[in-house]
Amino acid sequence: MRVVPESVVPRDITDDFTIAASSSHLTPAGLAFKFYMWCTDDLIPSEIELRTGQLVKDEYFTLFEAVGALEIMDSKMDSGYLGPGENHAQALEDDYDLMRELAPEEVLGIMDELLCHEMAWHMGHPLSQTLFTSLYLDRLLWPVPKTLENAHFGRGQSQSNEKVPDMVHVVLRAYCLALVKSCDFVHARVTTEYYFEEEDFVTQLYNRTLLSQFDSKHFHDLLDNAIRWVDEHTDMLSEKVAEAIRARLLFRREFLWGLEQDVEVIETRSTAQFLSCLSHLDFLGKSAVLGKEVPESFSCKIQRKLASTVPPRPMVKISFEDALAHLRRLCQDAVDLLEILDYRGPYNLKVVIWTLLSRKPQPSVYIRSLVQSLIVSNRTILGAVPVKQFLYDELEQIVLPSSILLQASADEIEVPSDPRFQIAQHMDVFTKRFSQPFVDTFRSACLNRCRIRRTVCHTLVDWDNLQMEAEDLDEQLRTLSNEPPLQLANGDTTYSYPLSSWAYHHKLSQFRLILQLGFELSIYAPEELPGMYWYLSHICSTHLGHIDRIRTFTVATAKRNLADLAAKKRDAFERHAVLQQSIRLLERMTTQIVAVDAFAISLHALYVLLARHRVLPTTSSPQAYSSDRLRYEIRMKPFLQITLPELVPYDEYHREAVLEGDSDDIVLERAAKAISEARKAWEATLANGAFMHDSDEKDSPALAIEDDWKRDIKDTMRACIGASIAIETVKKALKAQADSRNGEPPQAPQSVNLRVTIPEVGSKARWHDWWVVPQVSPATTLGASKK
Amino acid sequence: MNPNPTPALSSTATTTAAAAAAAAPAPAPPPPTTTTTTTTTTTNTHPPLRYVRYDGAREDEYVPAMRQLISKDLSEPYSIYVYRYFLYQWGDLCFMAMDDSQQQRMVGVVVSKLEPHRGGPLRGYIAMLAVKEEYRGRGIATKLARMAIDAMIERDADEIVLETEITNTAAIKLYERLGFLRSKRLHRYYLNGNSAYRLVLYLKEGVGSMRTTLDPYGAAEMTGALAAPEPALLHENGSGGGW
Repeated sequence: MRVVPESVVPRDITDDFTIAASSSHLTPAGLAFKFYMWCTDDLIPSEIELRTGQLVKDEYFTLFEAVGALEIMDSKMDSGYLGPGENHAQALEDDYDLMRELAPEEVLGIMDELLCHEMAWHMGHPLSQTLFTSLYLDRLLWPVPKTLENAHFGRGQSQSNEKVPDMVHVVLRAYCLALVKSCDFVHARVTTEYYFEEEDFVTQLYNRTLLSQFDSKHFHDLLDNAIRWVDEHTDMLSEKVAEAIRARLLFRREFLWGLEQDVEVIETRSTAQFLSCLSHLDFLGKSAVLGKEVPESFSCKIQRKLASTVPPRPMVKISFEDALAHLRRLCQDAVDLLEILDYRGPYNLKVVIWTLLSRKPQPSVYIRSLVQSLIVSNRTILGAVPVKQFLYDELEQIVLPSSILLQASADEIEVPSDPRFQIAQHMDVFTKRFSQPFVDTFRSACLNRCRIRRTVCHTLVDWDNLQMEAEDLDEQLRTLSNEPPLQLANGDTTYSYPLSSWAYHHKLSQFRLILQLGFELSIYAPEELPGMYWYLSHICSTHLGHIDRIRTFTVATAKRNLADLAAKKRDAFERHAVLQQSIRLLERMTTQIVAVDAFAISLHALYVLLARHRVLPTTSSPQAYSSDRLRYEIRMKPFLQITLPELVPYDEYHREAVLEGDSDDIVLERAAKAISEARKAWEATLANGAFMHDSDEKDSPALAIEDDWKRDIKDTMRACIGASIAIETVKKALKAQADSRNGEPPQAPQSVNLRVTIPEVGSKARWHDWWVVPQVSPATTLGASKK
Repeated sequence: MNPNPTPALSSTATTTAAAAAAAAPAPAPPPPTTTTTTTTTTTNTHPPLRYVRYDGAREDEYVPAMRQLISKDLSEPYSIYVYRYFLYQWGDLCFMAMDDSQQQRMVGVVVSKLEPHRGGPLRGYIAMLAVKEEYRGRGIATKLARMAIDAMIERDADEIVLETEITNTAAIKLYERLGFLRSKRLHRYYLNGNSAYRLVLYLKEGVGSMRTTLDPYGAAEMTGALAAPEPALLHENGSGGGW
């Protein structure tokens, strides 16, 4: 039996739902009826054997639909439900008088309440539970005003001669309208970019507009007018309240300007508006106490009039302090994002973008959307660099300094038989294929942190395929460019495979990111930590080997160039500079990966000891359904499909993860050595600085973001120190245990006198999200050795 | 239609005590559920509970009690259609804990489903698990979860998944004790803005490599302006929670 159309729903359904046929019913009921029907005798043809009351399910009825279905006449699900004794008018209308006189303190209170709702909306709550609970806004926005003059609080009132008080009409109205217009700019920016509906933001406007039809000039005029009015009516307002209202109007004007600037910031390079906003925030916070709340001017009843199938939901309340904190971060991020706008090569761009967007708390969805738009629009990076150039800059920096592959242009060489023509054609294929995925490695920083990890898990597979395609291109290009082979120590010859090498380099970076975000998002159980840090070091050493390979070819090219340099050949100097720059970048990346690798090795060893001596907390019980092997498979899920690097078979992983065959002393030494190497490497990383500099460049052009970057490295170094201390503590405890045995050989692995806690992300003891350094302390003697 | 509309894994009010109690060691694994009714005594001080499998013929008796148990502290309850969706198709994966000494006998319930995931692995999904507040800390939730998992294993399930709110430490601990791992974190998954963990249990080797017809990785990333959210299944409204 198929779907029961709405029209034949039997009239006598009373058990589970009641059809509200009256006009007071505002909830679309169709959804609920589409899928199930309550069979009654008169509806079912006699040849179908169904009992009265038997349920029939449409085979296409999904969980998704079940969850979305509403139950009519349940006050928790049905936004149109009228309670006993409630009539239509009471249910829909609030008896709040929008024309009433408001004390200046009340205007102030409403302004601040609106700001809270505005920020709650920025944080991802729907308008229906935030701004659209305001009766003032509702009157302005519904019905959709044809002109801006039409958007006033007196609309729809029968007594048109009733005069709205100036305080309300001039001041509050201007503030409300400008606030809505601010939201319009935010809404427009977010919806043009890649975001996740309901996770990051709710775009639903419920058939209203955010006044996008009106030019922002009008809103500035209204605000100016309101500011003038406040200045002229000091007699009506106490000085303090006047100042507070004025500050809010000024703030709103600057905020509106700042949001209006949006991507134009590429041209204007102006931070003035958001800096000005920031300058008002302290005073806004201090003067909030002067306001008087008008809770009756906000109502959830408006939800019943909004075109939507969602059940009634409570108003979202955030504190004014939280709203200001969110706003402050938004403005500061908006100021600092100017530092990403000067293009100084893909490497530096990646550092500024990832550093800015890794701020905690993460920049708001508006900022993240704006950054996405700035990174690329109309196939141009930062409004300045064509995507192809951007990709070529990256290739030149990493794998192809001074290569003919990047110089060949089909526009200049028109003879199809010329190898350069064919090289250009191949490179065009490459560019078409790789531009988007490459640019996405920048844009993915703009997603929320959970989505970054999930997205990278997916793009990893794409990069695996891209690497294979690039390898084909490499082979063809090698012939065309007459690449000289390189002789290896064992006598074999090999070629550089630049494009696929580059793809592999990116893929390995993504492997690392997935693991590190796993630590950040608290994905791994404590008992997995030894294995996950081993795996991180495994990926790092694979990556280091790969960079070595790339470097070998770059150095060989540089050597060949030396002869040209000596012969003072044309372009030799320029080539030399480019090659040296590339070698420096490879060095810099090596230092950083060595730092990660060494730290991971050390933590791996430390966790092995904790696990061996049974002081590492575990989450799974001996009666668990799963096995280590199956859990390893879950953990490797993102990597199962990847051809390179090859998946480590479980048995090998297990041997490595537990450091099978290594004594405690060896493992301890490994931990201690690695952590001291890590500390040195992180210091070197810090000394190298955040950015690649041109030789003549001294000052950092991205000071604020560089500070964030430094802080991050310093936090990592603190984590290293924490790990050193933990290793020392373990060492002492193991020694004490050995001494107490008095030279007797150890029996089975014994529990050691230590207490271990794993600091959670966000706690003080967790120095860095990516580095889970256990807190290890001697257990108190009382029953401590029992675990 | 709102894709994230209603609550999922229901857990009624949280108290630290309840959470801590729930984190206590789980009882020994029960024998495989070959019969639909088993009786166990969890402690000496409590009357024995009866564990029963859902029976569609007794819908009128069971479903209202179940709804009451699960919806207790949810501001936005599941519609009847959600219950019917599960019970109509997978009633045999639903188990209830009954205290016959009480007027309202049902004190715990687990609701699940089992079907091929995108044409690939046979995936079990634990949709709801709830235990009445005063009965928490007695291993009832663990017992119910085990019964559901055992029933899925009998039906040759390849894997079992579920979501829990990241603040619901009691629930997370319960499932992790059973061998589940967190596979990913879902940002602002619930209506109240809280995030979730996806928890996964593989029951066989090779599940991770099973091909699915609709390749979730195939979708071009970040190319469209608007990203459709993953079809979120069920959502807890999250009064926080523990058993």
